[in-house]
Amino acid sequence: MVGSRARWTAVTLAAAAVIVAHARIHGDQRYDDPPFLILQGVGLPAADVGLMKDDTHGPDAAEALHRAAIRASLTNAVAGANFRSGRMIVRFRDDASLDARLSALSDATDGGVMGDRGSYADFDMVQLAAGEDPVEASRRLMEDHADVVEYAQPSYRMHTMFKPNDPLYASNQWNLPMIDLERAWDIQPAAGSSITVAVVDTGLAYQDATVVATVRPFRDDQGRLYPSLGRVMIPYSAARQVVAAARPERIVSPRDFIWNTNTPLDFDGHGTHVSGTIGQLTNDNEGTAGVAFNVKLMPVKVVDAVWDDLFGAPNEGTDDTVARGIRYATDNGAKVINLSVGRNGSPAPVVEDAIRYAVSRGVFVAIAGGNGFEDGNPVEVVAEIASRVKGAVSVAAVDRNRNRAFYSTTGSYIELAAPGGSSRGFGVTGAVYQQTFDGTFTDTFLLPPLLYRAPRFDVLGYIPYQGTSMATPHVAGAAAMLMQQGITSPAAIEDALEKYATDLGTAGRDDQFGFGLIDVRNAMFGLGIAK
Amino acid sequence: MRAAIFLAILAAASPASAQSGSSWYGPAPDAPTISFRPFFAISNERFAAAKTFDAVFDDASAQFWGGGLQVTGWQGRVYGEVSASRLMKKDQQLVGQRVFVSDGSVSKLGIPLRSTIEPLEITGGYRFNVHPRVIPYLGGGFGWYHYTEDSDFADASENVDVTKTGGIFDGGVEVRAFRWVGVAVDAQYTHVAGILGNGGVSQQFAQGSGSSANSERDLGGWAIRLKVVVGR
Repeated sequence: MVGSRARWTAVTLAAAAVIVAHARIHGDQRYDDPPFLILQGVGLPAADVGLMKDDTHGPDAAEALHRAAIRASLTNAVAGANFRSGRMIVRFRDDASLDARLSALSDATDGGVMGDRGSYADFDMVQLAAGEDPVEASRRLMEDHADVVEYAQPSYRMHTMFKPNDPLYASNQWNLPMIDLERAWDIQPAAGSSITVAVVDTGLAYQDATVVATVRPFRDDQGRLYPSLGRVMIPYSAARQVVAAARPERIVSPRDFIWNTNTPLDFDGHGTHVSGTIGQLTNDNEGTAGVAFNVKLMPVKVVDAVWDDLFGAPNEGTDDTVARGIRYATDNGAKVINLSVGRNGSPAPVVEDAIRYAVSRGVFVAIAGGNGFEDGNPVEVVAEIASRVKGAVSVAAVDRNRNRAFYSTTGSYIELAAPGGSSRGFGVTGAVYQQTFDGTFTDTFLLPPLLYRAPRFDVLGYIPYQGTSMATPHVAGAAAMLMQQGITSPAAIEDALEKYATDLGTAGRDDQFGFGLIDVRNAMFGLGIAK
Repeated sequence: MRAAIFLAILAAASPASAQSGSSWYGPAPDAPTISFRPFFAISNERFAAAKTFDAVFDDASAQFWGGGLQVTGWQGRVYGEVSASRLMKKDQQLVGQRVFVSDGSVSKLGIPLRSTIEPLEITGGYRFNVHPRVIPYLGGGFGWYHYTEDSDFADASENVDVTKTGGIFDGGVEVRAFRWVGVAVDAQYTHVAGILGNGGVSQQFAQGSGSSANSERDLGGWAIRLKVVVGR
């Protein structure tokens, strides 16, 4: 079996090589510049490694730091800051003339110039001079030119919210019964079939492909040089438990704002895991279950993974990218948006505007509450927005004993809680399992330089993750089911989820659990005349 | 209103001689000392908890059918009555769907909900013998109201099966169409507390104070009844 697969892999890669060579001979510029290509449909189904006994996304410690350091070295981040240098997001007032806008820019910046407005943006990107501080520039612009500028902000980087767990083996999904899903499925066997959920995240493993890319060299946080791997062909497989071959129509309007394409392949695994919790295929005698397992999924890639950076992606997962992703999802038919991303620091008006835009058009937004409790419990900027927008909710994580997960951020902006998993006290059995990439084959940049090699994105398993990233898709899936059941207003969905939540912690709303743990069945069952 | 006009015309058309010699508190002409009169009735009730019923059933009204026994005494001056009624629907049930209410806006959830209401009422009052063929009456009483509610997918604890008492005021006019048959039209007000307002959508609408909120705690309402009475 293994030998057969190896032979087929060789044949597939050879076919991909022929296609690439043919394109080069015929002068197709796509294959020379940019050095990144996705040969869609050229690939093999995934090798399924089944349930994983450990998690290679590595806990707080070494590998997570290593991963962060690699990304910092590859991206245009300001040292010690979490925003991009050389750019600023500005929303000018509609009635401000072009002259007034340019004059304000000239006054508040050191030669800042207006850049092109991207698709699905109602704001402008201003290019700043090298070395100019975007924080100061945006502050000056807002303070001195409030008559012209609605808001201005640096282009902050977003990150995903998963928390990895300990290397132990388990196979049950305690998380779904906890929110009374079995009885919810009794009421709605269709499980969200008419609803599209946008997963605004790192992408999704939704098709087989061969990825052709040139891998840049980099240095890790210890200063070790990882050489360029040159041009490589990388096998890529769909997560068959998220996207069955027989149901390609469940993927709608995929979009990649990191590569500016319509093929948002996940090079991290986070987006695929999150998508699985929302809509993993269920009742098919295979793998794990998802919450709203018949929803349509719209993968919108707005966060770059390490491999995106190593492949030379033109964009990063910053506030503006996320805002555009939210607007794109809204304009292309999503009824629920899952945002398992976030950041700390200054406010993000550009993201808030996008969330308000989405909700105003009937889209419910679920946002991860944050994983920073033990890191000073900072305010999660995107989650905090949810508390001001009826129809968007921020989600805390609970462990399998319904206690607050150790990492789950607390604050007045927490509105709901859902199972996010916790390895602490439970080991790997306390995590949330879904199908995604086996990090052993994808995260080769975590190996020593001598062992460093091209990744393979064709080996998938049921991988334990934990984090408010994992809690949030429970809420997004529940919202999809409520919407299918007949509660169409985002504000009403928030009301229903909050009203029927199981109160945890201090009686009433509190900063750890918000209104409590969601109860999908009771929210869906609603009200009779007298009971 | 039309019924009242009709009855007024009918009264006016009666022979003048028939009206002479009687007063509203006097005995009915030719009335026995005591009379047992079975009757059949249909009614249309407008529920006080209009928002609640409208949300679940798309209709704040319901029709009932039933019957009972009326006893008149003191030569037709007073009456007492026992009646039972049921919903005039298939299986004697109102069928709607469960809902969710947010900011006053109702979302239908598509989960079937069935309700039954079974009143058993005892009333009594005074009959005003102003005319041999047209007899206004006014009365009151109390009743037992058996209410059930069940939904698809509900646990037993989520269904409702309860009986409460309530008060009744009614008044109307009986027209003696024949010697042994009368037709009565009356308006009946019932007030039934203790069933609605403690849970469900009725509790949502009953939040706060004011007559509108109070109404949503009341299973009663205003009904127009048409009765066919057999007996003198």
